[in-house]
Amino acid sequence: MKPLTEMTPEAGSTLKRNRFWFKAFQQRYLYLMSLPFVIWIFIFSYVPVWGWLTAFQNYKPKDSILDQKWVGFDNFIQLFQDERFYIVLRNTLAMSTMGLIVGFTIPVIFALLLNEMKGQFFKRSVQTISYLPHFVSWVVVAGLVYKMLSTDGGAVNQLLMWLNIIDQPIQFMAKGNLFWGILTVSDLWKEMGWNSIIFLAAMAGIDPELYEASTVDGAGRFRKMWHITLPGIRTTFMVLFILSIGHLISIGFEKQFLLGNPVVSDYSEVLDLYALKYGIQMGRYSYGTAIGIFNSVVSILLVFIANGIYKRVTKETVI
Amino acid sequence: MKRKMKMALSLMLALVFVFATACGNSNNEGGNNTKTPETTNATNEPPAEPMTIRFASGNNPNWDDMQSDIGKFIKEKTGITIKPEFLVDNGDETLALMVATDEYPDLVVPGVATNKMVDAGALLDLRPLIEEHAPNIKKVYGEYYNRLRWSKDDDAIYTLSLTGVDHTYFDSGSGFQLQHQVLEAAGYPEIKTVKDYEAAIKTYLEKNPTTADGQPNIGLSLNGGEWQILISVTNPAFLATGAPDNGEFFINEETYEAIMHYQRPEEREYFRWLNHMNDIGLLDPESFIQKYDQYKAKIASGRVLGLIDQQWDYNQAESALKAEGKFASTYARFPVTLNETYQDHSFQGTGYLPALGIAITKDAQDPVRLIKFLDYLASDEGQVLLNWGIEGKHYNMVDGKRVIPAELLEQKTNDNNTFVKTTGIGNYNISARYGDGVKDPSGNYYTTTFPEQIQAAYSEEDKKTLKAYGATTYKDLWPSDDAFPERKYGAAWTLPFDSTSEANVIKQKTEDIMKKRIPEAILAKPEDFDKIYDQFLKDLEDAGVAKMNEELTKMVKDRVELWSE
Repeated sequence: MKPLTEMTPEAGSTLKRNRFWFKAFQQRYLYLMSLPFVIWIFIFSYVPVWGWLTAFQNYKPKDSILDQKWVGFDNFIQLFQDERFYIVLRNTLAMSTMGLIVGFTIPVIFALLLNEMKGQFFKRSVQTISYLPHFVSWVVVAGLVYKMLSTDGGAVNQLLMWLNIIDQPIQFMAKGNLFWGILTVSDLWKEMGWNSIIFLAAMAGIDPELYEASTVDGAGRFRKMWHITLPGIRTTFMVLFILSIGHLISIGFEKQFLLGNPVVSDYSEVLDLYALKYGIQMGRYSYGTAIGIFNSVVSILLVFIANGIYKRVTKETVI
Repeated sequence: MKRKMKMALSLMLALVFVFATACGNSNNEGGNNTKTPETTNATNEPPAEPMTIRFASGNNPNWDDMQSDIGKFIKEKTGITIKPEFLVDNGDETLALMVATDEYPDLVVPGVATNKMVDAGALLDLRPLIEEHAPNIKKVYGEYYNRLRWSKDDDAIYTLSLTGVDHTYFDSGSGFQLQHQVLEAAGYPEIKTVKDYEAAIKTYLEKNPTTADGQPNIGLSLNGGEWQILISVTNPAFLATGAPDNGEFFINEETYEAIMHYQRPEEREYFRWLNHMNDIGLLDPESFIQKYDQYKAKIASGRVLGLIDQQWDYNQAESALKAEGKFASTYARFPVTLNETYQDHSFQGTGYLPALGIAITKDAQDPVRLIKFLDYLASDEGQVLLNWGIEGKHYNMVDGKRVIPAELLEQKTNDNNTFVKTTGIGNYNISARYGDGVKDPSGNYYTTTFPEQIQAAYSEEDKKTLKAYGATTYKDLWPSDDAFPERKYGAAWTLPFDSTSEANVIKQKTEDIMKKRIPEAILAKPEDFDKIYDQFLKDLEDAGVAKMNEELTKMVKDRVELWSE
């Protein structure tokens, strides 16, 4: 047999290609099995991108997408010239960043503490109770928040008055500068338990021998948490964290829509609501699409940046 | 190890739940979108063939699901079952989404989105259908039939206006409201200007800071937290300063020049008065942040002494008060103005105003049958059925006159929600119809609102209050109908901007600015009021209000031309 080095480059690549096809053939069932999902993703995630064309048109629903008037970047120019856009962008980023910080630290701490619990029954009950609010609709939560913070017999104001901290009820829901905080806290109340489930699961997966070994080495509870539990859930944490960064800009609008009111609209209106109001609701589909494209591009950039930073720091990558 | 398993299991279980709910949702949505196939081939069958029609309209909490007396009657008579899709808020979003997905129910009340739907080619031109199949509808509109025409360039009829033709207002649902007990305690003083109104509330509140069961009374509450800010806060500004309702605009009656009504100096003074009401603690501080439900709950508790609203907006809450027998806490209505120089123009004539209408969409299964159905509802028989109900059950003929039995009338006035739900009266007014004060061939009124009936429906408290003011209905307190000349353009709020026009974007912007600045100005310290109002006007200028005004002026002039043809 001739040694491999004597082969021409062309022959080498043919061989490589053959190997690929050979392997593909060997794994044909795996390919077949994944095929439905590839098609599914293609249909639901890539085919709609076709609709991005409308952002460069003056789209009217009456005619087909190819018979529209092309307007170039007009919609984007209009978007970037609207000062309202910058306000809603600021609100979106502020609220999602606050949500991200609070929504990751507190559930992890909560999971850590719960993990240290001895009594199984108590632990289970606390866990169940804490994630129940996740299933409550935002409509109901908004109603609760409004009632709690009302000046007209709201629990929070009455408590503060009773403690003599304030002597006049505070109009919490009319103060723009409090809105982000109120939203973040309500969101935390609703999602804390739910978000901690996955961390608890990750903690349960840590090898108990590590804890035993550290006990022998004389580590206390806090040492164990710091050196074993936290590093143990790092990968899970980072995957979730980077994925959420991708969602920073598209946080939906139902919370803000339900908790907001005209008085605080400068702080409560977010990008999605803006797209709805000035895009679809007014029949300006092209403008709405332009906002959507902006959203997607920023989201993709954010994910890659976050992943890049993580890679540089830890030499690992999640994407 | 065991713990690990359990954890993993619970996690899996949670995921299953998420999936189950997600799947459940998508299934439901799918169900809504699919057309009911068994009814599609009902075309050309005799009318008794059952048919389900999908109908999108504003929310109706008293909808009876065709189970009321009238609902059953209609189903039997026409074979048609109405399946409504209620729109949230004022329907803007849902309708816009319908246009975006290009899928429509059979019938729709497009309201504010009419323009969008016409632009999208979603609505059928009803003119040929009416000419051929609907003599009753044509008869009802009579001389105003051509006012249904869409525009100067398009003579199609896209919507059948649901407002009553030849309507006479016998009662007034607008104005400023005060509880009967407030008026009684003050000895029924004259309530003509905002100062009178303010004094009445103030005196009562000083003497009665709480209700009988110890809850704090609220002086004046406005429904300003949702879209009704237009109804409860900004529309009263022009009504109290002597201008008729032209939506967000003021129209010069001679030149037809349009300006945004906030730009009138008189209205600044109205808002200054609201600012003053807030300053002296008579205005509910939650007026601009409360949700509609909270507002209604407050009224239903009987704690709110005064309102500035339309009766249809606070009606449900007042019904709850009546059902509890708290008649002293229900409301009397007055045409209050900023000062004596103004007169309330609520009832300035417009001629017939085609407004909110019903439309047949291009996806309708059987337009001919639909128009025939609507034509039946517009017939003499149909209109009497919808307004009065079934003879022998909801009304009796006494000496050739239709009379509602006493116990039903009692329920109708004092527990209207149940009344509507069980009888269905008022739930099926979805076709052309006559307004109040029009008589049918038998010499009876088509509707149940006529002077004697209104007076019969007033509660004892209403009667006592009206007697004190020497009136028989609240309407008597307003200037008479012929006090002002008829507006040749109808009303400007029936003139929508083209949905893709720049003016339409400006309108949305100005509305957003208003929703922010007006509450800010009212809630500010009195010395800051002018500063904020100036800023408000400047914001409007920056948003391009001049351009929008110009556009509307043109449209008003076009309308005058079209209608005087």
